[in-house]
Amino acid sequence: MPLEILLALVAGGISITALILHLTGRSARTVMSDEQARDAWLRQFPEDTVGQILTAQDGHAALLQTSQGMGLVWAFGADTVARPLQGCKLRDVPTGLRVNFSEFAAPSTRLTLSETERTDWRLLMNTA
Amino acid sequence: MTDTLSYPDVTQWAVPFFIVAILGELAWIAVKGRGGRYETRDAVTSLVMGAGSVASGILLGFIAWTFFMWLWALTPMNLGTSVVAIIVCFVLDDLRYYWVHRFGHRIRWVWASHVNHHSSQHYNLTTALRQTWTGTFSLVMLIRAPLVLIGFHPALVLFVSGINLIYQFWIHTEAIGKMPRWFEAVMNTPSHHRVHHGRNARYLDCNYAGVFIIWDKMFGTFVPEQDSEAVDYGLVHNLGSFNPLRVAFHEWVGIWTDASQPGLTLRQRLAYMLAPPGYSHDGSRDTSQTLKEKHLARHPEDDGTPGFN
Repeated sequence: MPLEILLALVAGGISITALILHLTGRSARTVMSDEQARDAWLRQFPEDTVGQILTAQDGHAALLQTSQGMGLVWAFGADTVARPLQGCKLRDVPTGLRVNFSEFAAPSTRLTLSETERTDWRLLMNTA
Repeated sequence: MTDTLSYPDVTQWAVPFFIVAILGELAWIAVKGRGGRYETRDAVTSLVMGAGSVASGILLGFIAWTFFMWLWALTPMNLGTSVVAIIVCFVLDDLRYYWVHRFGHRIRWVWASHVNHHSSQHYNLTTALRQTWTGTFSLVMLIRAPLVLIGFHPALVLFVSGINLIYQFWIHTEAIGKMPRWFEAVMNTPSHHRVHHGRNARYLDCNYAGVFIIWDKMFGTFVPEQDSEAVDYGLVHNLGSFNPLRVAFHEWVGIWTDASQPGLTLRQRLAYMLAPPGYSHDGSRDTSQTLKEKHLARHPEDDGTPGFN
């Protein structure tokens, strides 16, 4: 197949698919309840026990007290990702907090938090 | 001995079909309200990975091609290009695929190339296109060598491999439940391949087949999809990035980080490259075997059931 036709097909195919998905509401991030945050953590770390859970007001992230220390579950598109917070670095951003992990496959996540939430979360996350 | 044989690059010609099929699956899900999930960034990442894989083939394909043509010049055998030869080559290449795929899950160096195909938490037709950019570096091309040496022309070998890859496209779907019993018995199907993409302890390291599921049944790696346990798609440790560069290279970075730690023996460094994924010199990580053992410790009732034999 001529390269220019292949390129046009690939670029067009990706663009059309992305547009349709976005316009049909498939770009929405998942929203978690406390129970869903617990399930998301245990899905990743099934041997852990989970204590207190603090879910962000927007439902896109949750802080969890677990048997391996403080952990974070966050919305990853329609799904979730969970990571222990040990060794992470925090940075204030206008909309909340940016959490940097020293991991190539999960470098960072941005949490949308109110001013009060940010203070509380920073305090809890610093204990990790 | 001819060296000018050529076949169409079927994977490139299949691109329009891939696009139409993806849009068809999406429409089916939207109309029926079942049969799978799509998410914009996940799908775009998969499609970009697919495009990158084609680009990688165009840029680096000459390495494998040069190697195969060198073997072809060495071998005194030529099985020709008859229909029978094409069919036999297709079946033997599928056996080759089974072993390459099995190595891809059991040897970290090969897993580093293959892992991106499993990195989506979704399972739809775009997942099929989430293909490697680094296959050349995994050196699995060496496993095609016997096919060339016994007399199949490299162009024929690559042609049947392309057909094999296209076959595997349609099985990446939740929109199809089970196929007729005879088909499920012989062929790889959406049901069998869903299991392969599972991160559940039960479904780890099984159903490596490309086209014919009989290889898994022959070599003891077949696990049927269980009505009692839905497949949880993705990696044991799911990625936290949609960036295609991170998806493509994260395990290679992981190998480098692990193997270059100070204080390791040479054997431990090699094990970080060649042992099954999840190996660690201090036992701090889990392989699929230890994940299954830990699952059975929590759920002893599962002992002896499919995936825990």
